[in-house]
Amino acid sequence: MSVQAGTSAAKAPAGFFGLAPDRLFIVLSRLVALSALAITLSLLSPHFLTWNNTVNILRHAAPLFIMSAGLTIVVLTAGIDLSVGAVLGLSACLAASLITQGYPGVGIAAALGAGLACGLTNGALVAYARIPSFIATYGMLWIANGLAYVFMQGEVIYGLPASFRSIGVGYIGPIPIPVVLMGVAIVILQIVMHRTPFGRGVYAIGGNPIAARLSGMPVQRRLVVVYGLSGLMASFASLVVIARTNAADVSLGEEQLLPAIAAVCLGGTSLFGGVGGIAGTAVGAIILAMVLNGMNLLGIKTFWQAGVLGLIILLSVLADQLVGSRINRSSR
Amino acid sequence: MKLTRRQFTSSSLALGAAATGILPAAPVWAQGKTPKIAFFVKNVTNPFWKACRIGAEKAAKELKIDLEVVAPTKPDNIEEQTRLVEDWIVKKPDAFVFVPVDYKALVPSIQKANQAGIPVINYNNVMTDIQKVTFIGSDDEMFEYEMCKYLFKSMGGKGKIVHIDGVPAAITAQNRKKGFERAVKETPGIEVLASQPGQYRRLPAQQVFENLMQRFPEIDAVVSANDDMAVGVVEALNAAGRGGKTKVVGIDGIPDAIQAIAEGKMFATVDFSGHDQSYLAVQAAVRHLKGEKVPPQILLPVFIIDKGNVGTVARTPEERGVPNWDKVTSAKS
Repeated sequence: MSVQAGTSAAKAPAGFFGLAPDRLFIVLSRLVALSALAITLSLLSPHFLTWNNTVNILRHAAPLFIMSAGLTIVVLTAGIDLSVGAVLGLSACLAASLITQGYPGVGIAAALGAGLACGLTNGALVAYARIPSFIATYGMLWIANGLAYVFMQGEVIYGLPASFRSIGVGYIGPIPIPVVLMGVAIVILQIVMHRTPFGRGVYAIGGNPIAARLSGMPVQRRLVVVYGLSGLMASFASLVVIARTNAADVSLGEEQLLPAIAAVCLGGTSLFGGVGGIAGTAVGAIILAMVLNGMNLLGIKTFWQAGVLGLIILLSVLADQLVGSRINRSSR
Repeated sequence: MKLTRRQFTSSSLALGAAATGILPAAPVWAQGKTPKIAFFVKNVTNPFWKACRIGAEKAAKELKIDLEVVAPTKPDNIEEQTRLVEDWIVKKPDAFVFVPVDYKALVPSIQKANQAGIPVINYNNVMTDIQKVTFIGSDDEMFEYEMCKYLFKSMGGKGKIVHIDGVPAAITAQNRKKGFERAVKETPGIEVLASQPGQYRRLPAQQVFENLMQRFPEIDAVVSANDDMAVGVVEALNAAGRGGKTKVVGIDGIPDAIQAIAEGKMFATVDFSGHDQSYLAVQAAVRHLKGEKVPPQILLPVFIIDKGNVGTVARTPEERGVPNWDKVTSAKS
């Protein structure tokens, strides 16, 4: 539902920015893949298509989406941020440590500050030192991991206060707070990406960086902000994750990086930059959560799950490649 | 770092001298030198290995030896541990106290240590096809079997249960699952609703269990292959307002599981003490270097922690008492 809100926001600037119909089709074709998966699963399991399970899937998708959303913006500039998982881990440890010591405000600020600082550093390395983003952020991955190792000394921090935990386990009406946060993030980022010079600049940098620079756009400054945003979103996701699990340890972020990249790609954002967007990534994150949910509900054997996950990811990309290209062709 | 050819030849000669079974102890003790032991762990991220480190350090302090902790920076990384082993063969400590990040992949590296004449004390994950002074650890299959038997007995031998598996490729996860299956087979009243992977990690286990709760409105008990996943399940149950009705058990005895048991949120866990294993492993190394006889295998006894005895259990490895060598080795192996 929040996804549809996103698409209508994407539609709005169509008049003065010729790319919008393409973007709309990308989101639509991802929705086709998502629906195909949902229909298949609801035929296979009577427990799938229930209100509770839908909420459950969205709640699983929420932290993954929040982290992947920042990554999406980086990917739109034809870059990559490999440090998102590690930054999530580091922020989680900082936040958990300070919050359990009785400083929730400071903990949240420290986590977000650390994420932003890591991201801005990445951005400076990419924009000014001209280090390829793959290497710059890979370096940051290890720096963030290293800082977290030193900080934690192999400990696990657990037992966060209930007031803080509400952002992970609480509800607003019938909707879990992580899902609300996901919705808010979609709306804000859609507006930023499609209604501000910054957002349009991101697409322009990814589409043709030289043209963007020649047109007088402050490309380097924009890139710093883009990577900063990615770090910030990863640390924001870390707060939701630790509020949910009630604990933090250094390896928290390790298992997050590849699903985040997968969510971006499943959402139709091109790794070559300039094509795709936030709404698609939301669909991508939901697809990933839905596949895991489906496998659990159907009781797929443990040893098969990894293979089935890979297969469904490939099938869903393949399906919307076919559908997407057909819609695109018929519209022209 | 690689072994040069000359070092390799000389170490092959050393092997020739010590070809049969257990290698003779190096006479470091006689020379009055402080023996140096390389103590390997799988990573610096998991508290289990921190407990191991603390146990080993306690033994080192007590026995006045030089202990170097060796850990890959990338957690559980096979390639990195292989390199570390090769580096340490060149540094030639008096003994290796070793746990492989992968019990098969590290065999060739440890064979090289054997060839170099370094005594190897294997702990935690058993390795075959290598020469070792002893193996000290816990029997994963027996641990989960005993845990399940205890749980099933408390349920009156009947009920609907869910199993949360560890990492599918891990030998520990496979053995624990075997123990589970054996216990289930022996208890006809137990119905297994589902057995799904939680990757030995809290968040995946929590999400998997949230998914399973959608399908199964009534679950009497959850057997989880480790405590990290068990506390994830406990979180999922509490968040869904189903806390307290489902008995959750795990393996390891990590601090937050012990706290959850004390608070009545979790039913029980088995103490899988890395602290005790590594303490005894360093003891074994030193005893071997002194020329004492060390049993070829030392398995720690099953110790179940539940509401009844949770108050007596140390929460952190620092607070924990050390095991008594004679008592452990004179028990059965």
